[in-house]
Amino acid sequence: MRKCWLLVVVSAGLSAQQKPVDFQREVRPILSDACYHCHGPDKGSRMANLRLDVPGPAIVAGKPEESKLWKRINHATPALRMPPPAAHKTLNDAQKDVLKRWISEGAAYKEHWSFTAPVKRELPAVKNAQWARNGIDRFLLARLEAEGLQPAAEADKRTLARRLSLDLTGLPPAPAEVESFLQDTAADAYERLVDRLMAKPQYGEHRGRYWLDAARYGDTHGIHVDNYREMWPYRDWVIAAFNKNMPFDQFTLEQLAGDLLPNPTMEQTVATGFHRCNITTNEGGSIEEEVAAIYAKDRVDTTGAVWLGLTVGCATCHDHKFDPITQKEFYQMAAFFRNTTQKPMDGNIHDTPPVISVPAERERARWHQLLVEEKARRDARAALRTRAGAGMDEWVRLGKYKTVKTPFKGYSPRWTLQTPAVLPEGVKLVDGAVGGTKALSFGAKKSLELPAVKHDLDSRKAFTVAAWVYLPKEEQNFAVATKLDWVNKKDSITQGWAFDFDGRRPRFQMMGGKKDDLILIRAGASGRLKANTWHHITVTFDGSRDYKGLSIFIDGKVAITETNPNSGGGMVEGSTLSKAPVTLGSDGNKKFFEGGAVQDLQILDRQLRDDEVEILAGWMPLRYAGEASLDVARGAAELLYLQRTDKAWGKANEEWLQTVAEQRAITRRAPVTHVMNEVREKDPEAFVLFRGMYDQPRDKVRAEVPAVAGALGTKYPRNRLGLAKWLTSAENPLTARVTVNRMWQEIFGNGIVKTAEDFGAQGTAPTHPELLDWMAVEFRESGWDVKKLVRMMVTSAAYRQAAVATEEKRKKDPENLLMSRGPRFRMDGEMVRDYALAASGLLVPTIGGPSVRPYQPEKVWETVAMEGSNTRFYKQDHGEKLYRRSMYTFWKRSAPPASMEIFNAPTRETCTVRRERTNTPLQALITMNDVQFVEAARNLAERTMKNVKSGFEGRLDYLAERALARPLEAREKAVVERSYKSFLSHYDAKPEEAKKLLAMGESPQDGKLSAQELAAWTMVASQVLNLDEALNK
Amino acid sequence: MLWEVGGGLAGIALAQMEAQAAPRKPGTHFAPKAKNVILIYLPGGISAIDTFDYKPDLVKHHGKQTKGENTITPFFGKPGAVMKSPWEFRPYGKSGKYVSDLLPHLAQRVDDMTFFHSMVARSNAHGPAIFQMSTGYIFQGFPSVGSWVSYGLGSENQNLPSFVVLPDPRGLPPCGVANWGNGFLPAQHQGVMFGDQKNPIADLRAPVAPAVQAASYDLLSQLNEEHLGAHPGDDALAGRIRAYEMAARMQVSAPEVTDIKGESEATREAYGLNDPATRAYGYNCLLARRLVERGVRCVQLFNGGHFGAPRINWDGHEDLRANHSRCAASMDKPTAALLADLKQRGMLNDTVVVWTTEFGRLPISEGIGEGGRDHNPEGFTSFMAGAGLKPGYSYGRTDELGYKTAENPTTIYDFHATLLHLLGLDYTRLSWYHNGLQRRLTDVHGHVVKDVLA
Repeated sequence: MRKCWLLVVVSAGLSAQQKPVDFQREVRPILSDACYHCHGPDKGSRMANLRLDVPGPAIVAGKPEESKLWKRINHATPALRMPPPAAHKTLNDAQKDVLKRWISEGAAYKEHWSFTAPVKRELPAVKNAQWARNGIDRFLLARLEAEGLQPAAEADKRTLARRLSLDLTGLPPAPAEVESFLQDTAADAYERLVDRLMAKPQYGEHRGRYWLDAARYGDTHGIHVDNYREMWPYRDWVIAAFNKNMPFDQFTLEQLAGDLLPNPTMEQTVATGFHRCNITTNEGGSIEEEVAAIYAKDRVDTTGAVWLGLTVGCATCHDHKFDPITQKEFYQMAAFFRNTTQKPMDGNIHDTPPVISVPAERERARWHQLLVEEKARRDARAALRTRAGAGMDEWVRLGKYKTVKTPFKGYSPRWTLQTPAVLPEGVKLVDGAVGGTKALSFGAKKSLELPAVKHDLDSRKAFTVAAWVYLPKEEQNFAVATKLDWVNKKDSITQGWAFDFDGRRPRFQMMGGKKDDLILIRAGASGRLKANTWHHITVTFDGSRDYKGLSIFIDGKVAITETNPNSGGGMVEGSTLSKAPVTLGSDGNKKFFEGGAVQDLQILDRQLRDDEVEILAGWMPLRYAGEASLDVARGAAELLYLQRTDKAWGKANEEWLQTVAEQRAITRRAPVTHVMNEVREKDPEAFVLFRGMYDQPRDKVRAEVPAVAGALGTKYPRNRLGLAKWLTSAENPLTARVTVNRMWQEIFGNGIVKTAEDFGAQGTAPTHPELLDWMAVEFRESGWDVKKLVRMMVTSAAYRQAAVATEEKRKKDPENLLMSRGPRFRMDGEMVRDYALAASGLLVPTIGGPSVRPYQPEKVWETVAMEGSNTRFYKQDHGEKLYRRSMYTFWKRSAPPASMEIFNAPTRETCTVRRERTNTPLQALITMNDVQFVEAARNLAERTMKNVKSGFEGRLDYLAERALARPLEAREKAVVERSYKSFLSHYDAKPEEAKKLLAMGESPQDGKLSAQELAAWTMVASQVLNLDEALNK
Repeated sequence: MLWEVGGGLAGIALAQMEAQAAPRKPGTHFAPKAKNVILIYLPGGISAIDTFDYKPDLVKHHGKQTKGENTITPFFGKPGAVMKSPWEFRPYGKSGKYVSDLLPHLAQRVDDMTFFHSMVARSNAHGPAIFQMSTGYIFQGFPSVGSWVSYGLGSENQNLPSFVVLPDPRGLPPCGVANWGNGFLPAQHQGVMFGDQKNPIADLRAPVAPAVQAASYDLLSQLNEEHLGAHPGDDALAGRIRAYEMAARMQVSAPEVTDIKGESEATREAYGLNDPATRAYGYNCLLARRLVERGVRCVQLFNGGHFGAPRINWDGHEDLRANHSRCAASMDKPTAALLADLKQRGMLNDTVVVWTTEFGRLPISEGIGEGGRDHNPEGFTSFMAGAGLKPGYSYGRTDELGYKTAENPTTIYDFHATLLHLLGLDYTRLSWYHNGLQRRLTDVHGHVVKDVLA
């Protein structure tokens, strides 16, 4: 059996005449490419009712001459010859020969290889058995021997140390690490180096970076305005998951369905951000149903590519043309993702619901404690309120609250709106909400300035603003009360504060007098007020200058709010004090309050507590209309009673408020991250969309996986949880193979299946199918142990080979798909930059945290971004943030980091599991001339000169050990020395040029070093870092 | 392909399998009419019925409400009454083509142009419609026309990118860089945006003197050659050496192409470089010619930027007269000068100029502001000029008011197929294997518009 397989594998296209044809590897690709479009799985485009993807009448087994297929592909009349001219496909003689032999041999169909369960076969026999270090090597060597190739010799130890360090941490090895490996003569020195490297936190960063391409992680929403999206806690979760070696099945489960786990932890909820990474929109005129369909498709496509290696998305508009996936099955997959609480429009906000706050690691224990404590204290408070029962009801019923003189202890407003003696035309006195002072109503473009009222609100001091407001029906921006200096009307730059309405939602802003220097909150969609009604609005602030310190209360209850922070991070920097008077009904420019009215406006000098706000909102109704007038009045009356009569309740209330305050404080410090939140009340379902059109829904379907790979049956729930469990079950033939293949690709450069995203009929066939299957089963049986899998790959003899090709190997194995030598290929853009930073000593190794903005060419964002986008201006960071690993660089989807993109980084708009790898002059310009790289070269040069006081050769060794992990050879040294001397003589003649070069970058310069010498060494360092050897793994 | 250096796939034992993934060699499918293309894009949606699609009936119906079959759903608000063009039309050239007074300079070139009057777009929202014109698909993320051309034909120049983009200096067009993205095609086909005159490409300028730069390239190439000795036949390494050589040449050639010192005063005047209204876009037009002269395969320039207030593109919702007058003031003269210049130099014989937009504008008033027009994807005008086309020819027709296509609808797929055809590329065969499909610029649609071919 084994022998037979070997023969088949070896046959592939070489001198294969005598060997039986392999349907999977030879026949199906021909049929798929040339015939399936009209004679394949898609009934919609099928011609002549003939299928060639399953046995049928066009083939007479054993008799090609009698088979219609053979006749038609050889038809004398071009118009009748298949494939037809319009298909623009032709079969060459070799391909025809394959088909002929296949029919002669019985025309056996086999199920497509990837749809059958992987089987762990016995390791193949090899001649050179002592070369093999593990199972991987046996499979690879068997193939090499069959091709008549010998593996390359083992690479030298320095090369191996560098290769391992790059593959396991994404960074060059520290010279000390190389040195200790060189000194270590123990038999397991190599394995122990592997273990040391895998134990570093940089391991998780490096593995995570690949995963983030697949997860399409980014820091903005992606479409249209492309505003900031706070998502980085998910990125940090990925890093941590790899570092703690989370088994891949758990990794899958938490990301696809963390929210559906019983009592999910915060981390498990953060993990669900995987499917919140898709690009979203808030473009005006977008149709919500269409947008929702697009999001679901993205999630199906991504899940298909990452776990199944299937192009499920090809079945959006019709049945898949090549793989057995029907259009209905596409929508069954989509159903999994169409049952969450997420709304289609992202609102252009950084925290599009559902989101969760993710307190910093050190606060997490307390945070979890507070969750329990808050509930307990809330319950205790509520129980006491219930206990007050009849007594309280009686007190309220008798209207005793009217005897209470002040709403709460310490109530002393700084200012309360009084009825002015004289009113301008168009501003009238009208009845207010429920009696009390008269309200002011405003005509068209009419407002009331109160020159005597100079009540500034200071962003550094706590305050409360409260008022009754009557809203007209219209939706435009309405200014209720403002105090604004107009710094620049053209760019709408103001200083002061404004309380207004935006689409009938209360909004409050404080402005610092500079562009984008403001904080703002607005009630969320649930806080959209009814028109032609009075509402009580309260805004409180804690004096923190942070938008998170602002709260809005509607009719006494805290409202869900949102913001639109500028890229500076939602803090107001400048003073919010202004010279302007308080103006009612206008912002002093173009906004008014036509048809609206305001009553009982007051400003207090402290941040009211939730219960105080509730009482304040009910105070006037209680005075003038009684507890039955408004809901808020009843609640306020009860609070007044409890406050005065029930000490136990008072204590419980204080305790509860304390807990809430602490929770809010932690939340304010914490970032948010986007998560999935299943709608529990209904089962996932979707409609088949005719031709993929959102407005043409047809049959309703339930969530299900594609039949070709299995079924949920009754074993798995019909939701994302079931999907995730099924994906990593032994019944699924794809996930383990696809995952192993992607890991292989990361380390060896190409996947065993080169099309890592497509294991279907149109994907490339595996170069080593039995190895892939063997590893897939090993991986699954190991409990999806990722580190073990990676370890197995990097400890193989194949991996340890020198990357040197012989003439014969270049001919037989030009792309190294057979692994006839060690892996060597150009590093990804992130690695190229990190490498230079690490070698120079500039790299700041902090793990995780908010994304950073290192150097970028001018106006990269500005030219791309829309006018109103909060990621329009690139505000470059300084200090340590310039030197973080590239995976932390802020990723704006519509303008990804330029230096990454030129090195083939995807835009992260959609899932990518395989990057292209090209070499272009634009890349050379970056690594030669970009400030980040020139600065790195200068720092490497400085380090070199400082650590090796003198001597060209010693210095060059020091430099090369950091840049290449090896000293240069004598011939190379001679070349460098000649160049160094020419650099030096140039800079000696023109010291001002040396200064100019050294001034690049913001890291401090060592003024004690000779500028000319340092410039010459900088050029040497730059060139060494630009060597092919440095840019390649 | 000169721009692509190394890193390509090569067939090995698994012949047929690999055949699917192997990139095509650059080159034409049949004899081309044109070898270069200049794409001029007018974002926002320039009105056809106020420029080249003369509708005398609009005057007759001016102020009347439309009804019956012409009921339409505009993008914004309610449909208003029919609105005549604020500009007079008169005939020009041998072809007698009617052109409005909005475009007096382009009017002089009508005998060189080939009009498509019945263009149909798939969306009446800017985003999807722009994507469709730029990439063939209404979604983000597909390769742009220019990147397909680059992929199809490769570069003719070792020192410059094969696809150069010159955005409107006021700002990037709506949808930004996605307009010239490479989608799933290899990155070297992405449009390279030329920024300011002095520093057109990021990091083009070395931080060191030319002598040092030369010495450092020299060091690099010696060490890399040394390394190549240890890895003989390594394509990627050989490719990298070439890429660095090209980078060095580009540092010289890119500033050379953007330096217009050598252009005559007459040329400067013709392109409007002496007038602030036309200077910036005029410079881009002139640069387009210089790039094509040096063998850049595709140059895309934009007249109009992104959305926002005040409007800096052709989206004349509120006040068509003011909006189009303002936009035309920068576009008309330099575009006409480019056509004249190309013709006079004989370059129109192997260059095709494409002038297009995402959709046109409705014949009715939008009912807000001073008489604006809403989007009309059902019938609008684009033109091509140059190699392989019937000059002074008009193809397709809209109805008497310019609501909808009345004859020979031209889809964007057809338009793209025709452009590729002129370049010697078969739009059904120019494809790239991606996510299980042989993807094309025209998806599974499109026909070459044979009528317009010379």
